[in-house]
Amino acid sequence: MKFALAVHSAPHTSQSAASALRFARALLAQGHELYRVFFYCDGVHNGSVLAAPPQDEADLVGEWQALQQAHGLDLVVCIAAAQRRGVLSESEAGRLEKSAANLAPGFELAGLGQLADAIANADRLVTFGG
Amino acid sequence: MEGKSTLALCRQPPYGNALAREGLEAVLAAAAMDLVPDLLFLSDGVFQLLDNQSPAEIHQKSLQRNLQALPMFGIEQIFVCGRSLIERGISADQITIPGVEVRQVQDTGKLIAAYDTVLSF
Repeated sequence: MKFALAVHSAPHTSQSAASALRFARALLAQGHELYRVFFYCDGVHNGSVLAAPPQDEADLVGEWQALQQAHGLDLVVCIAAAQRRGVLSESEAGRLEKSAANLAPGFELAGLGQLADAIANADRLVTFGG
Repeated sequence: MEGKSTLALCRQPPYGNALAREGLEAVLAAAAMDLVPDLLFLSDGVFQLLDNQSPAEIHQKSLQRNLQALPMFGIEQIFVCGRSLIERGISADQITIPGVEVRQVQDTGKLIAAYDTVLSF
């Protein structure tokens, strides 16, 4: 089955961001397809490379990146929600004249159309958090 | 993208949580891409529908403009959970979206089960 996930919670704030990651791993392990993960609202913080959790805690951003590498996942961070919260790619930081960029490699910024596209193309959309 | 029925749940109060605004923004963006969802306001989300809001007092942008845009984007099937209204002491004449009929539903589970995809905000 083809899944899409919507993640609405920040890592290290709510369990649901970690649950989304575990769910993604589980469905891939069972041979399902993950069409896209769409990070929206506070979920955009999952794409910040600047998160530096203590060593004895899960590094969610790094784990998403590893999963992305292993399976070629489409990890999309909503650009409007990300701008509000300060998650910027190099090009967005330049365009908005901000002093730094922090979008983690493996994630990309895109519009809400990617959520609509995921709804249209996946068999199941599962929302985490909010 | 047609042929797939989609319902968006609006569960958050209008100004206590960014999900209320961003949920409506996602709904409008989906509608602009010809994926027109129906809406169900439930739990504290019913507060989004109260008229007479003065969010400027707390330095917030009003959600009214987003709600008023719904019919312009073709979103006309709008439901509100009757029990959520009763639990919060809100009467039917206090909730309104100009230009759209907001229909009360009693059995939300039955409503939700009929859709192909459910978004939750």
